[in-house]
Amino acid sequence: MLGALRQISSAAPAVVNSPQFDIPRELKLQELLNHPAVQAGLAPFLAALVVAELFQRVRLSGLAIIAGFAATVYLASDFNFEPLTASRKIVLSGLAGAALALLIDLLRLHWLRLLLPVLGGAVAIWTAQRILQQQEPQLMLQWGAACAAYVAILIWGMDTLLDQEPLRAASAGTALGIGTGAAALVGASALLGQFGLAIGTAAGAHLLIQMLTNQALPAGRLFTLPLALIAGLTACIAVLSARLPWYALAILACIPLAVRLVPLPGNSVRIQSMLLVLLSFAFAGGAVYLTWRVAGNVPF
Amino acid sequence: MHKSVFAVLAIGVALPLSALAAESYSIDPAHTYPHFSISHLGFSTMQGRFDKTSGSITLDRAAKSGSVEVAIETASVSTGFAKRDEHLRGPDFFNAAEFPTISYKSTAVHFKGDTPASVDGNLTISGVSKPVTLKIDAFNCGTNPMSKKDTCGAAASAQIKRSDFGVKYGLPAVGDDVKLVFEIEAIKN
Repeated sequence: MLGALRQISSAAPAVVNSPQFDIPRELKLQELLNHPAVQAGLAPFLAALVVAELFQRVRLSGLAIIAGFAATVYLASDFNFEPLTASRKIVLSGLAGAALALLIDLLRLHWLRLLLPVLGGAVAIWTAQRILQQQEPQLMLQWGAACAAYVAILIWGMDTLLDQEPLRAASAGTALGIGTGAAALVGASALLGQFGLAIGTAAGAHLLIQMLTNQALPAGRLFTLPLALIAGLTACIAVLSARLPWYALAILACIPLAVRLVPLPGNSVRIQSMLLVLLSFAFAGGAVYLTWRVAGNVPF
Repeated sequence: MHKSVFAVLAIGVALPLSALAAESYSIDPAHTYPHFSISHLGFSTMQGRFDKTSGSITLDRAAKSGSVEVAIETASVSTGFAKRDEHLRGPDFFNAAEFPTISYKSTAVHFKGDTPASVDGNLTISGVSKPVTLKIDAFNCGTNPMSKKDTCGAAASAQIKRSDFGVKYGLPAVGDDVKLVFEIEAIKN
């Protein structure tokens, strides 16, 4: 999928008629930063890896998610919020979600966790508001309720993983992000696809640290809340404005539940993480496959 | 007494004449297709068009004024390749689910002699409005030989940058400069 995007990016008009051996260094760097795989893969992965490593001592390694997402937004889009489109509302919600999670964890306002799914549902309706307004009242209610329910379920599902081994949240986050991103990419939106892939690779960086050190790395709500919010909103908007089928969301919603219920053998973090990744990616792959059955090959 | 009678008569004659002078037209959607062309990776220039357009035009040749309002259904974009059209309708480009209409509203119509030569106005794409001047390359009014209705036709063009409207996907590989051509027919109301 990203291979097709690479062809677009690598053939910038500025260099079409230029000798290939004479490309200035700045242009090469810009070309690299314009590459979709760098924007949604390498950059968020590296940003998340550095942030998770730096902040793990103060138990804020969960910042990796929003750091990775911000890197992708900076490279693939911008932080301009005018006009406030659905994709810009996703960016805004992700940032606000991270700030709220930080506040809850630092001030120990854990009773607020019960309200988070409701808040997430309301944010979903706000994000999709302009799209919903174009629909007939019955469709507007159905789609609005479904979107709100999906985001609420993801937030609740990811939050329940906080009571268990940190590995579970990291594995579920990786599969949920990459599954959402790949499905959105196939369902005809590169930007929404990049949003999903960014949080997936950021969660993957967090998981990789645990696998390499063979030690659990507590993620916290700073990890789960923005991840669930961004993944949920991205998938919702991809369903409403592109060709992501709604039942792909039903499969993605199973990831936190499946990861929570599976018993983990032994004490090796590496073996446990591999098992969790295999399980969660089976669901993510299923969602991408169903989207591909509906939307066909990527159009770009 | 004679003066006031003359004034009343003059006003009575002038009012309907001025109303007649400002002619209003409705855009004929069957013969109105906004086109666009854009560089594809520097290799070729892709052409596209919108299949559904509506709007109204008023024209007062005597006063050399007028107005243009055009509404284009974003989802009606057509480039001759269904998968690309799907992508163009999506959030990466025209975002049709969120912004179902592209609109153009004139602020001034400039004449060269009796003929409109250019239109100043605001083009709104994806919720962003920017001033755009349409150059009128061809203009003709007459009676349609088939329908026998008074009809005006025009070809107007403009050059815009899509990034000005927040449509930034694929930059710089997919061109930023977009040429717009409005082929319009309008029937007198």
